[in-house]
Amino acid sequence: MKLSFSPEDENFRSELIAFLDEHCPAEAKKNRDLIGSDCVDEDGIMMIPEWAKQWQATLFDHGWMIPSYPVELGGRNATPLQTMIYLEELASRGIPRSVHFGGYAIVAPSLLEFGNDAQKALAPAAIRGDTVWCIGMSEPGAGSDLAALSTRAEDKSDHFLVSGQKVWTSYAMVASKCFCYVRTDPEAPKHKGISVLIIDLDTPGIEVRPLRHVTGHAEFAEVFFDEVKVPKENLVGELNKGWRITMGSLAHERGGLWVTGVAGCQRAVDDIVAMIKRRGLENDAAIRLKVAKLYAQVHSLRAMGWKGFASFAQGSSAPEHSFMKVATSELQQTLFELGMDIQESGLAITDPAVAEEEGRWQNTFFGALASTIGGGTSEIQRNIIAQHVLQLPKN
Amino acid sequence: MDFSLSDEQRMIQDTARSLFNKECGLDLVRAAWQDHNAAKPLWEKHLNEWVEIALGDLADLALFMEEYGRTATPGEFFANVLAQQVATEAGLSLSGSATVAVAGEDGLWQPNQQSTKHFVPSAHDVEQIIVVTGSEQIIQAALVSTTDVTINEVEHMDQLRPQCTVTVNAMGETADIAPGQWSYCVQRCLVTTAAELVGVGRYLLESAVEYAKEREQFGKPIGAFQGLQWKLVDAALELERAAAAVAYAAMCVDADDADRVRAVHIAKAEAGQAARRCARTSMQVHAGIGYTWEHGLHYWLRRAYAGDAFMGTSEYHFKQLAAELFV
Ligand SMILES: Cc1cc2nc3c(=O)[nH]c(=O)nc-3n(C[C@H](O)[C@H](O)[C@H](O)COP(=O)(O)OP(=O)(O)OC[C@H]3O[C@@H](n4cnc5c(N)ncnc54)[C@H](O)[C@@H]3O)c2cc1C
Repeated sequence: MKLSFSPEDENFRSELIAFLDEHCPAEAKKNRDLIGSDCVDEDGIMMIPEWAKQWQATLFDHGWMIPSYPVELGGRNATPLQTMIYLEELASRGIPRSVHFGGYAIVAPSLLEFGNDAQKALAPAAIRGDTVWCIGMSEPGAGSDLAALSTRAEDKSDHFLVSGQKVWTSYAMVASKCFCYVRTDPEAPKHKGISVLIIDLDTPGIEVRPLRHVTGHAEFAEVFFDEVKVPKENLVGELNKGWRITMGSLAHERGGLWVTGVAGCQRAVDDIVAMIKRRGLENDAAIRLKVAKLYAQVHSLRAMGWKGFASFAQGSSAPEHSFMKVATSELQQTLFELGMDIQESGLAITDPAVAEEEGRWQNTFFGALASTIGGGTSEIQRNIIAQHVLQLPKN
Repeated sequence: MDFSLSDEQRMIQDTARSLFNKECGLDLVRAAWQDHNAAKPLWEKHLNEWVEIALGDLADLALFMEEYGRTATPGEFFANVLAQQVATEAGLSLSGSATVAVAGEDGLWQPNQQSTKHFVPSAHDVEQIIVVTGSEQIIQAALVSTTDVTINEVEHMDQLRPQCTVTVNAMGETADIAPGQWSYCVQRCLVTTAAELVGVGRYLLESAVEYAKEREQFGKPIGAFQGLQWKLVDAALELERAAAAVAYAAMCVDADDADRVRAVHIAKAEAGQAARRCARTSMQVHAGIGYTWEHGLHYWLRRAYAGDAFMGTSEYHFKQLAAELFV
């Protein structure tokens, strides 16, 4: 155990910082607590701003998009430890890599792991952001119970015929492709009849209806499929073996996410300390104690994340990481709410001219309500920890 | 001590519930968010007649306000209920729809000398404003027309009940309010707000419980999972505690009981906390569907947070309670 990093790793960090100083656009440095939350048009419908497209491409072209990948996939063969350094440096500055994380973080790794050569060839564009992807998992009847999905893909010998509905599909209104989970064998047990198809969203029979978040911004959508013809070669991995890919996707989503979660908490708690001083409340004993307790949690969670990373890097499992999503998403909610409460009677004011930091805390409070829902709810995370970490009996 | 409702109180509760269920559905709430004039007919045809309930027992008013909160009712009725209670103590006679302007930037109902008053509910939807100024000892109120003041809306979470700053250039004729009378009407207005928050919490909790019975995942209703049951139980406990605290505070104020100061701080603080807790719980139980704007749960969530902020947050009232305990 040691605190310091090797000279090579410190070099890596300096190189990254120099790159950010030179290339990172002002818009990406806006200290976003929630990635993409302000990328909407006049009607409040999500769009991908030009700066974000260029920034993602610049990261890719300089080998800084996914550092652990080889050059042709937007990386520089960085070590796992360097990846941690990279994620911390970005997250502590609140710099997003992209405003739509599905493509580079979930779809590309899944294609590289499970796809055939033609599908693997789609990965660079997904990572660079040239192709925008959405991920069609949830359906009205299949949220936490994803394996209950019923969007049907019928084998018509030379194509699949897809009918059904997805819901809460993030980025569907800006995406050109959907990484879509479908039922290919309705007779098999529910985990054994699922497959993954790549579906081009401009195929006839698809309708995307934007849905608004509670913030008022439409960043997800309902996606309807009515007898949509999907070429056979768009099947990812083996027929009826899609459940393995869901597990893969979720793992990719988990991997480095804790770093971003913890860094988000750290930024929030640091900014809360600053706000308390600005408002002259630093001698309020109750507030001091409350903030100190939350600060301690952030601090220990960071240590816990790194501790888990050590076992992970040595090839064993990291039970610490199973806790991180629940812990950081709930801590974030608590912190954002505290950021509002410090404004006392102004806690519900959203007027940018009046509220602290132009209403940042109120906006992030609404945004963060989703963090204990999306990507597996806190309850489901707790079930997983109970059964897989504590090894309690399944109910 | 007797918490049982009289026949008359039961009638107020039943009448209010059916009135709001019938006249204030989600469609109206949605329309009022787009344009607050959409709620005008509700005020003109129905709620206007009910304003006088603010002149009677606080316990009765609290029952009515709980039902009012349950439907996230938009519009100026709330402001009028506050205005009626202040007007009575100040001896002012209102000649139309009205609101109250007293708070400074801190949002507390403490008379002050500043010409701009903050957190004034529905100021641009009413005709008259009771402006309260002065100090702790000398309190004065005046009735001014909304056309004689400068009103600026300050965007907050709950656009169904806009809040404004009101700048008063000339007070005109003023009436004195004795400090005792003033604290009496502040207490009434706090309990009014707390009762509404209990109703907001009730809707949030009830809708979550209903949803947990209907929504099935893994082959059973999600309400069958203990993890979810306990979450709902904890919210229900907090809400029931708050509801009882509000009823108790209303009785204390009506009876001019010595315990009323503590009881009112507790009622507002507990109701604010409970409504917020129910809001978070309901969102979590509804999950994806609750997070959509279209579903509408967020209207109640917004009212819960904005209501907690109004006339001093729960934190503020807990601090006031502490000051009472450690004299
Ligand atoms: C902002 C946002 C973005 C999203 N983006 C996407 C996307 O891009 N693609 C996609 O496919 N989906 C997406 N989703 C959907 C998300 O994955 C689902 O909302 C989530 O999996 C929960 O499903 P549900 O909403 O149907 O809730 P349900 O599964 O109906 O759950 C309702 C409640 O019951 C609880 N519950 C369910 N089962 C259990 C149990 N066994 N034990 C205890 N409690 C239980 C849940 O925790 C929750 O509190 C997104 C959601 C949000 C909010």
